[in-house]
Amino acid sequence: MFGLPWHILLPTLLGTLLVGALCSSMGIFVVRMNLSSLGFAMSHAAFAGAAFGLMLSRFDPLWTAMAFALLVAGTLGPLTDAARLRTDTIIGATFPFTMALGLIFIHKAPSSGVGNGALTLLWGSVLGVTMSQVALLSCTALLVVIVLRLFGKDVFAVLLDRKLATATGVNARRTFYVILFLVAIVVAVSLRVTGGLLIYALMILPASAAFQWAYDLKKILLLAPALGIGSAFLGFLLSLWADLPIGASIALACAIVFFASILFSPKRRRIIAV
Amino acid sequence: MEDLAVRLSDVHAAYEGEEQATLRGVNLEIPPGEQWAVTGPNGAGKTTLLEVINGLLPVVSGNVQVLGRPVSSSNHSIRSEISYVPQNLFFPPETPFLVQDVVLAARFGRIPFGRLPGRRDREQSKDALRSVGMAWAERRPVGRLSGGQQRKVLLARSLAQEATVLLLDEPTANLDPEAKKDLAELVCTVRDNLNATALIVSHESGPLLAASDRSIVMESGVITSIDAANVSVAGVG
Repeated sequence: MFGLPWHILLPTLLGTLLVGALCSSMGIFVVRMNLSSLGFAMSHAAFAGAAFGLMLSRFDPLWTAMAFALLVAGTLGPLTDAARLRTDTIIGATFPFTMALGLIFIHKAPSSGVGNGALTLLWGSVLGVTMSQVALLSCTALLVVIVLRLFGKDVFAVLLDRKLATATGVNARRTFYVILFLVAIVVAVSLRVTGGLLIYALMILPASAAFQWAYDLKKILLLAPALGIGSAFLGFLLSLWADLPIGASIALACAIVFFASILFSPKRRRIIAV
Repeated sequence: MEDLAVRLSDVHAAYEGEEQATLRGVNLEIPPGEQWAVTGPNGAGKTTLLEVINGLLPVVSGNVQVLGRPVSSSNHSIRSEISYVPQNLFFPPETPFLVQDVVLAARFGRIPFGRLPGRRDREQSKDALRSVGMAWAERRPVGRLSGGQQRKVLLARSLAQEATVLLLDEPTANLDPEAKKDLAELVCTVRDNLNATALIVSHESGPLLAASDRSIVMESGVITSIDAANVSVAGVG
């Protein structure tokens, strides 16, 4: 990969770092609210959406992917509330449904090779990142910052305890839906870069690692994206140095950061005063 | 102008999937500034009563008013006037929140949409922690505190919230005798400081019941007795 020209390397690097920051930020909500399968469900919804776009061959699969992810995000919250089930249970039920839809859409697609386009969304194509995708990722990052600025205190209260938040006058249901929508948007725009499988690593591992280092959510909110960016950069360098597939290298770096955090976490140290 | 802090009129409430209503025709009128205790066996509807007053559980029929304003699950603003301390809420050791933030979060319902907590909010939270003797723990992780200390932090939230109505569900449950006594005294101090109306669910007799103006006894979703004759309890029995 050292031989690759800068016009390929630069968007790849920028896209990777942005996705690292975005996914790991969303990971804080996902990990804290025990919704670890959310990223997986969203990515498969986006996969089904992309397959749908390819089947119709009239829309950019990115937009149909985003529409499907948002549709699932919009359904998950009310469905969880109506069914009075754990969100993870509802997510578990959504996942095979969207996966099946994706496969049906691919099967019905007009040309035989079209499935590969949708499958790219499962495996990702880090080296195929363009500057326009980098711009889209930057806009998403800006959107996340604006939404968190607007809903910040409500999100904070819900992450502490949803029932307690509701009891003190915070609209916890609305806040929960906002979180679901943010995750859906981030997954949909990141998917083409990372793929559905890698996105899980970037969403869960850096955030889980950040939770190992601090008891203060404010610090975790800074630490998780920093670890996400760090893991993405480490993976990028590893891929250049060892000539490995970049997606797998990033996932490997995320795992290294996660296990190192568990190993060296100050939370696990026992300090005995003598 | 409403002269009652809490008013329940013929309230029926049920949890989803329950065949029997958990509250059946409850009528209750609590004047401002009074402390009432709620007692009764398990399953009597004590916690349900608090959740209905707070709007966490929607009523099947009847009306709930706090400070003259209707309470419903969609009326969020009235909840900023009500401080609710649920039964057995304990933060596990890994909870990623500092004590100061747990207390500050109690004010978020009062802060307008899109605004961040200001200096006054932070000062109010600090004062609240000081009042319950927990200022030393300000920067400690809340999950690392003992059960009794966590209860004090929850009481500090009520102070920080500047609540007008306090709903406390078994505030001294699962504490050792000394911590129970300590916390019961603190509850009374907090209520006095806020000059709030308080409804306290308690299983056991002790200083909390002794300090209450009136005591409600519940059984099978109805109020079976109230210890004062001048209080309207139309739905008794």
